[in-house]
Amino acid sequence: MIKSRSRLALALYALMAVLCIPFLFPTWWMITSSFKPVSEIFAFPPTLLPRQFVTDAYGRVFELQPFARQYFNSLYIAVAVTTGTLAFSSLAGYAFARIRFPGANLLFMLVLTGLLIPSEVTIVPLFQMFLDVGAVNTHWPLILVPMLGAPSALQTFIMRQFFSGLPHELEDAARIDGLGRFAIYHRIALPLAKPALAAVGIFTFLYSWNLYLEPIVFLSSPDKFTLPQALTQFVDAYGGPMWNIQLAAASLTAIPVLVVFVIAQKQFIEGLAYTGLKG
Amino acid sequence: MASVSIASVNKSFGSHPVIKDVSVEIADGEFVILVGPSGCGKSTLLRIIAGLETINSGTLAIGDRRVNDVEPKDRDIAMVFQNYALYPHMTVAANMAFSLVQRGVAKAEVERHVHEAAAILEIEPLLSRYPKQLSGGQRQRVAMGRAIVRNPKVFLFDEPLSNLDAKLRVQMRGEIKALHHRLATTMIYVTHDQIEAMTMADRIVVLRDGKVEQIGSPLDLYDHPVNLFVAGFLGSNGMAFFRGNYRDGQFVSSDGLKLPFATRGDLEGRDVVCGVRPDDFILTDDGVDATVDVLEPTGSETQMLARWGSQKFTSLFRGRLTAPPGSSVRLGIAPGRAHVFDAESGLRLDGQPPCHA
Repeated sequence: MIKSRSRLALALYALMAVLCIPFLFPTWWMITSSFKPVSEIFAFPPTLLPRQFVTDAYGRVFELQPFARQYFNSLYIAVAVTTGTLAFSSLAGYAFARIRFPGANLLFMLVLTGLLIPSEVTIVPLFQMFLDVGAVNTHWPLILVPMLGAPSALQTFIMRQFFSGLPHELEDAARIDGLGRFAIYHRIALPLAKPALAAVGIFTFLYSWNLYLEPIVFLSSPDKFTLPQALTQFVDAYGGPMWNIQLAAASLTAIPVLVVFVIAQKQFIEGLAYTGLKG
Repeated sequence: MASVSIASVNKSFGSHPVIKDVSVEIADGEFVILVGPSGCGKSTLLRIIAGLETINSGTLAIGDRRVNDVEPKDRDIAMVFQNYALYPHMTVAANMAFSLVQRGVAKAEVERHVHEAAAILEIEPLLSRYPKQLSGGQRQRVAMGRAIVRNPKVFLFDEPLSNLDAKLRVQMRGEIKALHHRLATTMIYVTHDQIEAMTMADRIVVLRDGKVEQIGSPLDLYDHPVNLFVAGFLGSNGMAFFRGNYRDGQFVSSDGLKLPFATRGDLEGRDVVCGVRPDDFILTDDGVDATVDVLEPTGSETQMLARWGSQKFTSLFRGRLTAPPGSSVRLGIAPGRAHVFDAESGLRLDGQPPCHA
């Protein structure tokens, strides 16, 4: 009995190990290849570890482009978008969850339809609008659109779900204790919403960090570029990729994402639960 | 401390009326319990007193002050909620201190109040804990502590014991009553549990469908229910009811059995419902044969489920009894303890004025 169970467990682990390969291999290949000379990257048979360990590619990343500046761009845009989205989505989510006003449901449906519109559809009119106000080739579109536009609809939804689940009695108690509407939001609801805020924060940070279409549409000077866009620029004179340099840049780009994932795995999964998608 | 006056209050949610012309006068220091089945509007009435719900018409006064449009925080009330409603992100001490800090009371003063209240409720060792680290009974006590700290004119309790297990409920019942005795503050308490109402209240307000059915002391209501609803609602074993009518001054059940109720010449030919509390049945040779269905001895008492004709009822006797199921016993009714109600309106028919206090 016990033996067959442990055998089953062993088989399951083996299966999972095999299933891991397609997920882990690209990351492994990206990191190890960034330390290989170009000739070795495509050597056959391929090498799991670099036979010749070189770090030149990492230096070249910063020579070919203002990569540090681009790194900073991505970072500060993501932080601004995250901060702003947390503020707006928690305020809007709280309002939709708790304030009864005429047309609230209709308005909420309208917000949710934002989820259905792909950003490719709106990018041309948005470009026109930002061109009219002279904000093309600045970071404003990349900060304002996710924060106030359709991408924050999902975050508002998550926050609303969370606030809807808070007991009404807590707010009644707070009212008797003398808190007004905003104070209830700020001093009672918000501190209790930490897990939801963490989830929204992580989602938003990753969204902004990985944004690709918007930067290539709105930005044209290399010192304004964000990382996903900069990665595509490591090409030789004929437009072919400079593999080892590009992979080094990609490895550097992935670091914050990996760090965020490792630190906040739990919140990330809880966040998925708040969307009501749990089984 | 203050009286509470509820005068002709009406409240609707949309087009649905939930409180219909309710008037209750609550004296200073009184312990009044609002009781009724779920959906009767008792919690809404409490929330109206707290200021958490507005009213459509009528007047609400606490002390001499009309408070219809006064914010909850300015009504000088404290409320204890069914789910305790402790702020989960604050310690017990912070929970208790919150309203005072909010009002800008000096820190030393706040601490003194918190410790006083904690001492009364014996929760001093819990002050630095968080609500999630407490048991249900402890949370309830903290919720009461939070109310005491405010030193309010009126305490409001919204089904505070319904989340506790039976044993703890009995214990907390005693503690709340003792607290009332100690503080002598007006208390208004909502429950659907008629035992809580009977054991704790100075006066009970029975509500049904948003209307007051009867107001009176627990024993008044027990002895003189104004209608079938109140009669059936109060009392732990439920009143036994018999349908029938009066013929030749005697009550005849719908099965045609002459039952041992007092003669009433004034009700000749009228369809009535006669009610008897289980403990008002007596064993007597002058009684009427009843068929025993089940006998449930509990030691000090014996409960007997029996039938007169097709009408089943529960009776309760002190001491012990032997009567095998299927056998018959002669049962009568203690003199003056029967209740007669009109079958159609459900109103009491004994000529005594209902005790609306």
